[in-house]
Amino acid sequence: MIIAIIFVVLMVLGMPIGFALGVAGVAGLYDMGGGMFLVQGPSKVFNGLNVFPFLAMPFFILAGEIMNHIGITSRLVKFAQSLVGHFRGGLAHTNMLASVFFAGLTGAATADAAAFGKTLVPAMVERGYRRDYACAVTAAGSIIGPTIPPSGLMVVYGSLMGVSIGGLFAAGILPGLMICLICMTVIAVTARRKNLPKEERRASLLEIWKIFKSSISALIMPLIILGGILGGIVTPTEAASVAVAYALFIGVFVYRALTVNDFIKMLIRTARVTGVIFIIIAFASILGWWLSFNRIPQEVAAAVLGISSNPYMVILMIVGLLMAIGMVMDINAILIILAPVLVPLTVQIGMDPIHAGIIFVLALNISLMTPPVGACLFVLASVTGEKLEKIAAQLWPFLIAEIGVLMLFAFWSDLALLVPRLLGFR
Amino acid sequence: MGLQRVEASARTLGNGLNWAVERVIAVLMLALVLDVWLGVVDRYLVHWQLNWPEELARYLMIWAALLAVSAGIARREHIGIGLFVLNLPTVLQRTVLFAVDIIALAAFIYLAVYGFDFAVGGMKRHAMIFGMTLALPYAAVPVSALLAAIQLLLVALRDQGRYIPVDLTEGAE
Repeated sequence: MIIAIIFVVLMVLGMPIGFALGVAGVAGLYDMGGGMFLVQGPSKVFNGLNVFPFLAMPFFILAGEIMNHIGITSRLVKFAQSLVGHFRGGLAHTNMLASVFFAGLTGAATADAAAFGKTLVPAMVERGYRRDYACAVTAAGSIIGPTIPPSGLMVVYGSLMGVSIGGLFAAGILPGLMICLICMTVIAVTARRKNLPKEERRASLLEIWKIFKSSISALIMPLIILGGILGGIVTPTEAASVAVAYALFIGVFVYRALTVNDFIKMLIRTARVTGVIFIIIAFASILGWWLSFNRIPQEVAAAVLGISSNPYMVILMIVGLLMAIGMVMDINAILIILAPVLVPLTVQIGMDPIHAGIIFVLALNISLMTPPVGACLFVLASVTGEKLEKIAAQLWPFLIAEIGVLMLFAFWSDLALLVPRLLGFR
Repeated sequence: MGLQRVEASARTLGNGLNWAVERVIAVLMLALVLDVWLGVVDRYLVHWQLNWPEELARYLMIWAALLAVSAGIARREHIGIGLFVLNLPTVLQRTVLFAVDIIALAAFIYLAVYGFDFAVGGMKRHAMIFGMTLALPYAAVPVSALLAAIQLLLVALRDQGRYIPVDLTEGAE
């Protein structure tokens, strides 16, 4: 109990989550019996990171960095705009659709929120959208990226729980597309009432074709990554490294917008972004050991099953728990600490591991945009200068819609496993 | 006046240290990229059946990412929840944020001290590659933790409890 209090207090006082996990973890080792357990900490840290599939993370981040630097971002936005920009609320629709195109290039929701917050939100405000609404749309769309593969969270989940990462990637496609679709429906339904701006004219087929051609190099990248992994040809790490090679190739030879100096800066930034995630994973590994040493997973499992052993109730409790904790804690840390606690429960109720995985990923992703302290909201508020409460007030229709998608996939396993089955992962 | 001098010195030292660390990270990352590419070329094109690229990649990744923790500290990129602290009166806020930095130091000092024994223990164990012992890969933990601890102390003295917002959009268009 004291360990949990230490952790929560430090976090509330503003300590970075990774470091708070570290202090709590060291306190946990001390609590387990002092010296002989403290000695084990560094090996838990090392082994927690010594995981081959984790290599996919820095490579996906690097590929995204390169694509972003060479101007792919704005081309994808233009392409999305040429398709849906002419509807009422066109830029809001563009925001959502661009998130889907972006999804193949990035795997972290907060990065998407930051990038769109800096580019699309000002563009929307200029066209006459309210800033809080523009931020809410961006927050709602930011979770599409890490739901549609590649996704860092799926890499962590798959590596930790021994579930096929390719299978999880396959399972993410449908919910990601459905979130986009349902959020666009929300925008369309409320567009007139909110009096959202409308573009005067629609792009002609010729214009769409021209923009499509100029952004094709970016649209191909997800196909390389997904085709390779989902086809079972390459591992996620290999696919990610090929994506880096591809991005470098078009950056240097097609767009001629990349210098050696740029590339070095990107390498360092990629390492830093990875470092932020890795220190969380490293220290969470220590805390996870403390949890299992104290048999807390078993106690939680018994407590949950004590309330109800009905599979639907269990799923509901797991989703609720993940979303509640996801509001205040880093989602990678939650996976490392809670997945070993909660996944055995899903096994007990006979749930498919890929199905369980996609529920975890969806619930945690949605928690990133849930008020009061979802990380994406936080990022958007700091990037755009909008008040968090005002964004949150505009967000709820999207939030309800996305939770609806989550519930659909949580309770309808055939739908959740449709794509993995089609691609031969089940 | 004294505090300002401390701040200036800490800033200079921290920037210098970070400059060097980031150069090392760049080299490690470049090696990592080339190593994984070599693994792919080997597996799908030339079939030399090399056994070391995969293991080497893991060690390079761990070294690069853990060293980068200190670089992230120098730039205050490790985010926490600022909501509560930012609503405190300035004096209290600065006291809390400074204290939080110093407490976090404990975790890294622990890792540096116990990690040293861990790395030494690695000398008795052998990696699959090049006949090397695991001391070098294991050393990533204490070395990075020590650098992180030094950098954390320097940024604590540099910022002295001031809240530094992260520039999350660096690199975004």
